[in-house]
Amino acid sequence: MQNREAEKAFEKSIREHEGLLHKVCRIYASTDADRQDLFQEMVIQLWKAYPKFKGESKFSTWLYRVAINTAITGLRQKKDFITSVEPENLPHNSSEDTYSKAEEERLQQLYRAIAQLNEVEKAIVMLYMEDRSYDEMEDILGISNSTLRVKMNRIKEKLRLLTKTTDHGT
Amino acid sequence: MELDDLKQTWQQQRPEPIKNTDIMELIHHKSYGPIAALKRAFLKQIRVMIILPILIFLVNVNDWQKALTSVLFWSYVVFCAGVVVYTWFNYRIVSRLEGMDGRVKTTLQEQIAVLETRLRRNMIGLRVVLLYFIVLLEVLPYFQHYRMLDKWHSLSPLLRFGSYAGFLLFQYFVSRRLCQLKFGSHLDYLKNLVSEMHD
Repeated sequence: MQNREAEKAFEKSIREHEGLLHKVCRIYASTDADRQDLFQEMVIQLWKAYPKFKGESKFSTWLYRVAINTAITGLRQKKDFITSVEPENLPHNSSEDTYSKAEEERLQQLYRAIAQLNEVEKAIVMLYMEDRSYDEMEDILGISNSTLRVKMNRIKEKLRLLTKTTDHGT
Repeated sequence: MELDDLKQTWQQQRPEPIKNTDIMELIHHKSYGPIAALKRAFLKQIRVMIILPILIFLVNVNDWQKALTSVLFWSYVVFCAGVVVYTWFNYRIVSRLEGMDGRVKTTLQEQIAVLETRLRRNMIGLRVVLLYFIVLLEVLPYFQHYRMLDKWHSLSPLLRFGSYAGFLLFQYFVSRRLCQLKFGSHLDYLKNLVSEMHD
């Protein structure tokens, strides 16, 4: 009975933050099957870690830790996740989205560029785009605040160059 | 392209939904991560090592009294028991790594440390086991007579010990290569991730 209640509480918490998991899947896996596998693995790892979650950090911080840890190490032996991706393989956003086609195209271009970053840079840029503070990023990744700022500047420059290359290439 | 200009769009996006998001069902699935796979492999090894002495005994059941007084049989039992204890110890260590809720860098560093220690201990353990069986091959005829060892002991000690040395050398290179193939690339990948986290 107690276990059933815990399962219900877990489901409710995950449902509230499901979007975060979808974004991690989108960043780290290329095909539908890979995304499904990664989502499943992340949910399993979250469920395993759930009894230890005592609310010392924000739920989203805890969730990001488990999700990123799982994405970069959890499925390594089963599948090799993408280091680059063909544009046609990139998932699209829901058609109900409120932003314009031009913005959608820019977002797709950004995703193509992010796919070429290394696994750590992908995590940093994702958290930055989610508007997480550097302190929270430090709490999730374990990289110092100052190093994160330096890295973020380098990533911005790298993405600028990558998107410029894509612009010229298309 | 300026990242900050796209922040709002990024946060508004709703990525294409994943087909099966039934949380209650997913939590009952088996994990396919490397740690879960390693734990399953350890449990399999423990089962095999428990069954092995029983199988050896069953093969010799017609002459069970001889089997129970055989030094070789009890050596197998000791060897299998040793492997079971060592594998259980490894299983416990690897279980500690299952927690994915630590800071990413700390989790990676812990995984590297455990994998390296395990690899080092595996190498040492394998050499100890080989030395144990070499000693057994040499000492056994002084206690009990085994027909299968007569031919081996009729060879000159120089040839025998030369073969042992050659075998140990061969094992040294082969096990290093096998470890590199099995765990090396994963370990290199983890180390690379940690190095990417430094300034």
